[in-house]
Amino acid sequence: MNAIELKAVSKTYDRVPAVDSVSTSIQRGERVVILGPSGCGKTTLLRLVAGLEVPDSGTLSIDGQPVAAGGHNLVEPEQRHIGMVFQDLALWPHMTVSQHLEFALRYDLRTKSADRPARIREVLEMVRMGNRALARPGELSGGQQQRVALARALVANPAILLMDEPLSSLDSDLNLHLRQELLTLYAALGFTLVYVTHNREEAEAIGTRVIAMRDGRTGDSAMTRAKPGNRQS
Amino acid sequence: MRRLTLLLVVVTLVIVGLLPLAVMLGKSVIVDGRLTFAVYEKLFSNSGQYWVPIRHSLMLAALTAGGATLTGVPLGLLLGKTDLPMRRILAILFSIPLLLPPYILAVCWFNLLASDGILAPIIPERTLELLSHRLFDLPGCLWVLVSAFMPLVMILTLACLHAVNPRLEEAGRLIARWPAVLWRVTLPAILPGILFAAILVFLLALGEVGVPMYLRYPVLPVETLTQFAAFYDFGAAAAAASPLLAIVLAVLALEHLLLRDQTYRLRPTTPGRRMLSIRLRGWRVPAMLVVGLLATAIVVLPLLALIVSSLSPFAYGDAWLRAADALGRSLVFAGVGATLLTAVGFLCGYLIHNRALRIWRAVDTLTLLLFTLPGTVIGIGLVALWNRSGSAFLYASSALVIFAYIAQYTALTSRISTATLANVPPSLEEAAQMIGAPWFARLAYVVVPAAFPGVLAAWFTAFIFCFRDLGASMVVYPAGQDTLPVRIFTLMANGAPSLIAALCVLLVSVTLIAMAILGLLFQGWALRR
Repeated sequence: MNAIELKAVSKTYDRVPAVDSVSTSIQRGERVVILGPSGCGKTTLLRLVAGLEVPDSGTLSIDGQPVAAGGHNLVEPEQRHIGMVFQDLALWPHMTVSQHLEFALRYDLRTKSADRPARIREVLEMVRMGNRALARPGELSGGQQQRVALARALVANPAILLMDEPLSSLDSDLNLHLRQELLTLYAALGFTLVYVTHNREEAEAIGTRVIAMRDGRTGDSAMTRAKPGNRQS
Repeated sequence: MRRLTLLLVVVTLVIVGLLPLAVMLGKSVIVDGRLTFAVYEKLFSNSGQYWVPIRHSLMLAALTAGGATLTGVPLGLLLGKTDLPMRRILAILFSIPLLLPPYILAVCWFNLLASDGILAPIIPERTLELLSHRLFDLPGCLWVLVSAFMPLVMILTLACLHAVNPRLEEAGRLIARWPAVLWRVTLPAILPGILFAAILVFLLALGEVGVPMYLRYPVLPVETLTQFAAFYDFGAAAAAASPLLAIVLAVLALEHLLLRDQTYRLRPTTPGRRMLSIRLRGWRVPAMLVVGLLATAIVVLPLLALIVSSLSPFAYGDAWLRAADALGRSLVFAGVGATLLTAVGFLCGYLIHNRALRIWRAVDTLTLLLFTLPGTVIGIGLVALWNRSGSAFLYASSALVIFAYIAQYTALTSRISTATLANVPPSLEEAAQMIGAPWFARLAYVVVPAAFPGVLAAWFTAFIFCFRDLGASMVVYPAGQDTLPVRIFTLMANGAPSLIAALCVLLVSVTLIAMAILGLLFQGWALRR
C-alpha cells in the first residue's frame, strides 16, 4: 500500500515551475530522502504533501485517499495526520517543551485527555528531554531544540513524518548523533519517513531510497545497500 | 472558518467606512428622489466659498508635507544613525506632538505668543504682535501642523533605517566616506518610506480641521464642517466633502503608482545584524545644540506655555467640574475603540500579510483611504447612513463614535499588525496546523502570542488616537455624550484661557500616562525574554 502517491503534480510560483509534473509513490514504512541542490523544489514537494501548498495540477493521495486534486486541497493539512519537522524548527517561543506536546495532543482525537500527561512523558523520555519539560525554546541548545521539534511531530503518533533539512544548521558531530537517534525512533515507531536534504552523505545515511530532484523534476534512484530498520527489506 | 471570519472583517470595514461615503455622495446628488447637481453648481459658482478653501487646503497640505519631510528626515538620520547623546529620549520627546490633537499645539502657541505669555518678557512687543498676527494665518497653521506631523516622518525614517541591510552600507564605506554613503546608498534605500511619509503627512494636513478652525484659516474641511454643523445643509456639506475625497483618492493612486509594493519591503533588521552607526566626533556638540534647540522650539516651549497658562488657582478645579464626565466617556470610548480596533486591525493585518483573500490589496488601500480622509467626512458619511428611522437607536447611541474610530484608525492597527506578523515565521502557524489545530486555536495559541508586542503596541496606539480624535467625534457624538477633545474645542469659544490650558494639560497627561504604561509593559516583556 502506498503511503503517499503523486501523479503529475505541478506547482508554479510567478510562472517559474517549482515542482514540474512529478509522479512518484512512497510505500508505508519506507524511509525516503529527497535530495537536490537549493531551489530545486524539494521543500515545495514536501509542503505539497503536508498540504501547506496547493498543487496547480495533478493528484496527491495519502493512504490511497486523494487529498489534493484539480488545483484544490481536498483534505486540509490539519486533517492529514502528518507530522512535520520544519527547517527552522518552528518552535513556539512562548510555550514550554511540555506545552508544545500538550498543544499537539489537544487536537488528536485518538488520545484521551487523561492519557495526555503519560504520553507527553513517554515521548519526552524517548527523545531524552524528560528533564527539560518546563524549559522554553530560548533556554535550549540547538540539539535539544531539534529533539523538541521531533517530539512535537511524533507525539500524536502520525503515520507519516516529513522532515525539511532539520539538521542542516548543526555541526557534523551533532548531526551524526541526531541521525542515529532518528533511525532508532524510526525503528521503534515505524512511521513513513520523508526527509529532505541537499547533503548526499546525510541522504545515504538516512534513506532506504533517494529521490533526486533537479529543476522541479524527480528521478528515482534505489539505494544499493539495505539499511538497518528498513521495513521493505 | 478563516475565510468566513476575514470576510466578516472586510464587510465590517465596508459598512463602517465605505458605505457611509457612498451614501453621503448619493445624498448630495439625489434630492427628493431626483438626480440633481444643484448643490455642486451653487458651491462652484461661489469662488470665495469653494475655490479659495480648496486652494488654501492644497497649499497648506503641500507646505506641511514639505516642511515635515525636510525636518523629519535629517532628524531621523541624526537620531537613528549617529552616536548623538540621548537619542532615545530625544526621539520620545519629538514624538509627543503626534500623540496630541494638533489643535492643542495651536492653543500652546497662542498662549506662548499672548501679550502676557512666557515669551513676552524676552521678545519686543512689536515683534510679538507681528508673530501673534502671523499665527492666525498660513504661517501659523503651517508651523503648528509641521510640528504636529513631523514626528511621523521622523518615526518612519527611523523604522526604514532599521530595515536597511547593513552590508550595503559596509560595501559603500569601503569606497567612500559616510556623507557619500548616506547620500548614495542609505537615502535611496529608504526613499520609498520617506515618500510614503510625505504623502501621509500631505493627506493628514489636508484633512485637519481643528488647527485651521482655531487659527481661522479657511480650508475645505472647515467649510464642510460649517455647512454641516452651522447651517445643517447636508447636501452642501457632502458636496464640500467630495473634492477632499477626490484629492485623497488621486494621491493614494499616485502613491500606489510610485511605491507599489515597496512599503511592504520594510523589514526590521534580523537579530544579530546591527545597524551601522555614524560617529559624529567633532560634530556631536553642534548637532546636539541644533537638535536641542529644535526640541525646545517645537515641543518643550509650547508644552511649557500650556502648563504655565494653566497654573491658576481655580483652573484645574473648574476643568474637573466642567469636563470630568467628558473625560470619563473619552476613556471608555477610547478603551472600547482600541479593543475593537486591535481585533479588526489584527485580522486585517493577518489578511494582508498572508494575502489570505484575493482582495487583500483593496483592503489595505481601503484602510489607508479611510485613515487619510478628514474625520469630518467620515462623520458626515456615518450620519448620512445611520440617521434614518430604522436605525435611530444606533444613531442616538455612542455606537457611531466607535464606528468612526474603526473606520478612521484601522489602518494604524492593521499596519502595526502587518509589520509584526512579518517577524513571525510562517512555520509557527504551519506547525500548529500540522498537528491539527483549527484556525481559531492557531490564532489564539500561536500567532497572537508570537505577535504579542505588536498587539500591545496596536492597542495603545489605537487608544491614543481614539482618545485624541476630534474630527469625526465632533460630527457623530450623540447629544450630551461629547468626548474630552470635543468639549475642549467647544469651550474654546468662550472659556477662560487658563481653563482651556488646564483641560489641555489633562488630555496631554492621560496620553503621556498611556505612553508610559506601554513603555513599562515593553520593558517588562523585553526583560522576560
